[in-house]
Amino acid sequence: MSSINLSGSRSASLKGIKARAKIGNALTLIIVSAMAAIVLLPIWWIFRSSLMTNNELYAWPPSFFPSRWLFSNYAETLETFKFWLYFSNTMKIIVPAVTGGTITATICGYAFARLRFKGKKVLFALCVGSMLLPPMVTLIPQYIVWTRFLGLADTYWPLIVPYFTGGGAFSIFLIRQFISTIPRELDEAATIDGAGPMRILGSIIIPAIKAAMIVVALLIFITLWNDLLQQTVYINTEPKFTIVIGLSMFRGGLKADWAKIMCATCLSFLPGVIFYMIGQKYFVEGIVMTGMKN
Amino acid sequence: MMKQRQKEHKLSTAAKREARTAYLCLTPALCGLTFITYLPLLAVLVLSFFRWKGLTAPTFNGFDNYIRLFTTDPYFKDSVKVTIYFSILAVAGSMIYSLVVAMLLNRKIPARGFFRVVFYMPYILPAAAVYIGWSWLYEANFGLFNYILKSIGINSIMFLNDSDYIVPSLALIAVWLSGNLIVIFLAGLQNVPRIYHEAAEIDGANSFQRFIHVTLPSMSPIIFYNLIMSLITNMQIVVPALALTSGGPGNSSMFMTYLMYRYAFRSNQIGYACAISFVFFFLIAIFTLILFATSRGWIFYEGGDD
Amino acid sequence: MATAKELPDTAIMSEAGVIQWAEQGMLYDISEMYGPEDPKPLDSLAFKYADKTVAYSAANEILLMYYNKDMFDAAGVAYPPAVAEEAWTWDEFVEASKKLTLDKNGKTPNDADFDKNNITQYGCMVENLTWQLEVWALSNGGGFYSEDGSSLAIGEASSIEAIQRVADLYLKDNVAPLSSGLTDDGVQRSLIAGTTAMTTNGAWNIGTSLASAREEGLNYGVAVLPYMEEKVTICTGGPNVVFNQTEHPEEAMEWLKWYAREENNWENLISTGIWMPTLDSYYTDEEMTKKWLENPNFPEYEEAKSVLVDYAKDYTQSTAWYYVNNTNDFNELLGSVLGDVWTGKITVEQAITDNLPALEDAFAGNF
Repeated sequence: MSSINLSGSRSASLKGIKARAKIGNALTLIIVSAMAAIVLLPIWWIFRSSLMTNNELYAWPPSFFPSRWLFSNYAETLETFKFWLYFSNTMKIIVPAVTGGTITATICGYAFARLRFKGKKVLFALCVGSMLLPPMVTLIPQYIVWTRFLGLADTYWPLIVPYFTGGGAFSIFLIRQFISTIPRELDEAATIDGAGPMRILGSIIIPAIKAAMIVVALLIFITLWNDLLQQTVYINTEPKFTIVIGLSMFRGGLKADWAKIMCATCLSFLPGVIFYMIGQKYFVEGIVMTGMKN
Repeated sequence: MMKQRQKEHKLSTAAKREARTAYLCLTPALCGLTFITYLPLLAVLVLSFFRWKGLTAPTFNGFDNYIRLFTTDPYFKDSVKVTIYFSILAVAGSMIYSLVVAMLLNRKIPARGFFRVVFYMPYILPAAAVYIGWSWLYEANFGLFNYILKSIGINSIMFLNDSDYIVPSLALIAVWLSGNLIVIFLAGLQNVPRIYHEAAEIDGANSFQRFIHVTLPSMSPIIFYNLIMSLITNMQIVVPALALTSGGPGNSSMFMTYLMYRYAFRSNQIGYACAISFVFFFLIAIFTLILFATSRGWIFYEGGDD
Repeated sequence: MATAKELPDTAIMSEAGVIQWAEQGMLYDISEMYGPEDPKPLDSLAFKYADKTVAYSAANEILLMYYNKDMFDAAGVAYPPAVAEEAWTWDEFVEASKKLTLDKNGKTPNDADFDKNNITQYGCMVENLTWQLEVWALSNGGGFYSEDGSSLAIGEASSIEAIQRVADLYLKDNVAPLSSGLTDDGVQRSLIAGTTAMTTNGAWNIGTSLASAREEGLNYGVAVLPYMEEKVTICTGGPNVVFNQTEHPEEAMEWLKWYAREENNWENLISTGIWMPTLDSYYTDEEMTKKWLENPNFPEYEEAKSVLVDYAKDYTQSTAWYYVNNTNDFNELLGSVLGDVWTGKITVEQAITDNLPALEDAFAGNF
């Protein structure tokens, strides 16, 4: 008797839970939509400002929509804000850095995850330790070496080459964590078949960690994208400006024309958004899997 | 017997070959650790004991740089305060914001993929552009925020011109930018075994109790990870000062990295700037060590040590 | 962070860097660049170190006042004078500003029920970028530095009072919007935004921002700055230098002379109003003046001439960086020290007296 009663009340309470969950989800949807609107508002505000005349921009009260959508602002902005030049310059840094960073991170991460060798623990500790040592700390000596000893001021080398050392400790760490989740039996089977470490890396590991490699690539991309300081320090002449330098110079120029500054801002949003849209499926997947493993 | 020894021999050459491959693989990382990380750190420390104006030869001056930093420098003390203040606000804000959003997105709502893109979006925009764009929202006389404030009857706030408001205003942008934390939290939440929640629910725990007793403990390793990452990112803050505020008004946005940049690259005081770098490094190390030390008390690892 | 080996023969550098390079012995004495018969640049445009001329500005830029004629007409206030002899005193300037400031009900600060939290039109905005504040310190009989640049004058009562007066336009007189002196777009966010009747700023604005604003209907005029004790404005302009280690000083100077010639910058810079010419002939020979200013890019000729020529010639002092070292560090520190002054958290006197030792250090190059 008692057991029947128990199961009856249990199913009733489960039903109650389900009903409450439905209401809860509807409420959640409303809250999430409102928050999403708030998060998007600044982007909208920047965009609508880019389509206004300056008079409208300085009007009070401000309006949420431009009275006329002045897409011609963009054409005018492009006359002085050399977006395509800055964009291709940025790519000249990002493409090699991202490629080199991803490849070296994969190789190094693989060695840490799978290969046995003396001094592994110490090396790995040094590597993880360097994650806590931000590049800003060591900027000055690096700058001196790059510009004075190597004579590479106003070139992209100082911004690219460091990524060829494993793309930063974080990238190596991420790849290593990821490889650790792949069953060892797979590569042991391959070893018995006579495959060397490099073949295992190429034929077993890399296909299995594509998502993580894409995460590393995107993280390097974003780091470079945001790194106004190092780009300001190393790049001095206008033909070599990247998007972020171009933008901050554009803002600081004598002719502070805010509608155009907002155009330039929106333009510099674009590449990131496009790359993200292309890579987002892998990116989220990769983060989901790596997020777990620390 | 013979065979056994042959096999061992083979194994050891295989092991040797494996080690050789490993060192070869790790050459880039070794170079990086040597030339990008640890040697430059040593150089920072050494240079911080010199007076070096860049054009002339450096001269050793002992602890003078450090003494000047902590006594007469008109920026440094404010700069440390501002950096810590900003980091605390930005880290706390983005942790709470991203955990809340992640928990909301973890529920079964329609268009989750779309919302995830929306909340993540700010993170992939170049920070310089974000701060410049937001400065127009914060603008004292024509900006959106003051429009909203005025329409609910509050006098306008000089967000970026008032030394009391600038750090919270910039920290809000940093919170807005923290979409990557959301994705990581979301991943963690999806890994909290459903059964824990169900068990707690049947025991009559309300959702707040479930949050405290189930979600938080099982998420603690990920919270820790995000905390460290967010701390290191925000302590290094420099873009708003560089692109927007030049450290002002007053010293209220004189972040340490920016101060270091100003001394090294605008006033050519390389040794002195290195002293700032080293103090900055020290500060980050202390903060992370504190986090690590306290983490033992509150991080819950499933299945003991991992 | 450049090394001697990398130096070219000549360069354009930032104003605040010249004396530092000269002090390190890296700049060539270019006093001989212009022969006795040549038209020479205005004296105010020569950078001097140890009595030697080490650079000339490639352009002249003075500070002046811009105003919106329509706002003056609507308020029935007389235009600010363009002739230096008739310049407004500071009090006259504040009085006019009060008449031009309106809250949302159309009241001015002179009315008892004026609502200072809902101002729709401001009378003035005096640009408070740090380097531009020097003009007010000078105007009040003080300065950032002593006349020969050998000591600080920022701590003197007159200098402090001058800067406080600028801050009080917002804090006490309620005739100016808040401005924290951090951005270079003062003219845009005041005059061009249509919220402010008068603003002070550099002459380059005629070409950089006001020209297009005028096409969009802004009816603006130019005037001389109001004064406190002495009628004065300051000038600046990007300097051209010859480096000391050059093997071809003569050629380098010839090149600079050619490069700085007005004809070479006429189309893009001078006739558009971005640069003022440097050679004194443009300021003394009416033919030359006409060639420059009888031009639709400028305000009406008589007005433009009395401000851009007569005022520039007779009432202009060089900005301190023409003869004082470490102005960059000093200005950055001063700007930072004054940060809480504009919002009224502290007074100029507190800000400066509390930080005088640090300001002395910055001036002495101990930074």
